[in-house]
Amino acid sequence: MREIILFVLGFLAVAVLLMAVVGQYHSQDGKHHHKIGHKHGEGVVIDMHAYASKIRGWNPTFKVSLAMVLLILCIALNNPCVSVAVLIAMAYLTMVKGGLSVNEYLSVLMIPITFILLGTLAIAIEFSFDPIGQFNLHCGFFYIYTSQEKLKEMIFLILKVFAAVSALQMMTLSTPSSEIISVMRKAHVPKLIIELMNIIYRYIFILLDVYSKMKNSADSRQGYCDFKTSCYTFGGIAGNMLIISLKKANAYYDAMEARCYDGEMIFLEEEKKIEINQIIMAVIFVAVLFLLWGLTK
Amino acid sequence: MKLSEKRIITLVAAFALAFGVYPVANAMHIMEGYLPVQYCIVWGIVCLPFLVRGYFSIKKAVSQNRKSITLFAMVGAYIFIISSLKIPSVTGSCSHMTGTGLGAILFGPTAVSILGLIVLIFQAILLAHGGLTTLGANTFSMAIAGPLVSYGIYILCKKVKVNKRVGIFLAASIGDLFTYCVTSFQLAAAYPSDNGGITASFLKFLGVFAPTQIPLAIIEGILTVVIMIMLESYATSELIDIGYMKGEINNVKVK
Repeated sequence: MREIILFVLGFLAVAVLLMAVVGQYHSQDGKHHHKIGHKHGEGVVIDMHAYASKIRGWNPTFKVSLAMVLLILCIALNNPCVSVAVLIAMAYLTMVKGGLSVNEYLSVLMIPITFILLGTLAIAIEFSFDPIGQFNLHCGFFYIYTSQEKLKEMIFLILKVFAAVSALQMMTLSTPSSEIISVMRKAHVPKLIIELMNIIYRYIFILLDVYSKMKNSADSRQGYCDFKTSCYTFGGIAGNMLIISLKKANAYYDAMEARCYDGEMIFLEEEKKIEINQIIMAVIFVAVLFLLWGLTK
Repeated sequence: MKLSEKRIITLVAAFALAFGVYPVANAMHIMEGYLPVQYCIVWGIVCLPFLVRGYFSIKKAVSQNRKSITLFAMVGAYIFIISSLKIPSVTGSCSHMTGTGLGAILFGPTAVSILGLIVLIFQAILLAHGGLTTLGANTFSMAIAGPLVSYGIYILCKKVKVNKRVGIFLAASIGDLFTYCVTSFQLAAAYPSDNGGITASFLKFLGVFAPTQIPLAIIEGILTVVIMIMLESYATSELIDIGYMKGEINNVKVK
């Protein structure tokens, strides 16, 4: 039974990938492609994708709660078939519905790869002084060993982590942070924290801008020519940024007060209606997940 | 397999373990979906008392002086930026500071707990580092345990009158190492080894992450010292404003 289900899921995965590739080919042919891998400054990039996503118009509360439910199901059911199903559905939502390119999606998914590899490696391998286990490797006075059971656990864990990451990414790649914060406000997170989050989110971009300017000017003056100099440059920039940010904090408070800030910031939010068929689809999908779990338990 | 072949394999394996993992060294965020449900909940509950204390201290500071909200927010944004910057490294890898040691030394561990929580949420939703289900575990290791240890060591060094720079270096790097130990423990508790239980598993996680985390802790220590020297020579008035000279952010004086 499990084999059949996994086969069907694998087929679906290929189908989703093909749909995404074809969609991308039609929408933007001839544009430059980015390499898959760990890149920096993703902060801005992920936010940009969120604003550009085609499913940005969906109700944010719906997207956030769907992502949360799927996250919890992923880790609570702890079942490889469920993980694969979530992985496929989220890839479908983000790439086919949301219109994100395959390369971009994969490079976002690949960010935690080091942690996943190291973390699962530590689970899969064991040390011992005697040659036990199915596979073992002699290292001087001790053995590294592992078994098929352990390797299986490792692969299932990798699938689970990727499924959970993709569920989170479905949310973040389609919902701008300000909307996520407003959903948190509706969930009655304390007002002070919401306020701080709203302001911090805006300040992050201001400081990033300051940082990139300082970095450029340091770079053009040979500030990163060797390791020692780059340490001094880094320290200088970080210290300067603190001074600038404290100065700005004062100025921004005055600016806010001049616009009648009285301890609460209220933003105009676009009203996004929840569509009934989206809810029905979500409920069906969750039911399917439970069914898969029941069948392959 | 001949003995010489075995030796070669062992050497290559050791080499790969030591250097192969180096290129991408992240701060130790536990990824989304990695911890089983009960551990997510337990670590969340462990964090609560610290977070509640941080919340009330920030709330008090804000109600005494409304202006301090922008200051707290700037500090939060600053910690976020510091922790997402690519730091210089010898091998050309991409690594990040945790920034918690610096935050704890500058602003005190109470305020850093709540700001650290917010920073971790933003890291999860903007950078895809860490996650929402593992938020409790990550908050405990990075925003509570690490800063507390850093701050403790910093104060201790001040009391014992160790050279200030040595004190800052020790505070930042040991705080970083402690964060890494706590994270390894969290992982080990969730995935104990068949042969040797949590202790064996703890040692395995320590060993696997050591090649990335130990150099990182040393670099973080050096950078924190450089930053503090820079701040003390050019920004004394700002340091007094944020209460660094007294130790807590609650004593904020806004001009």
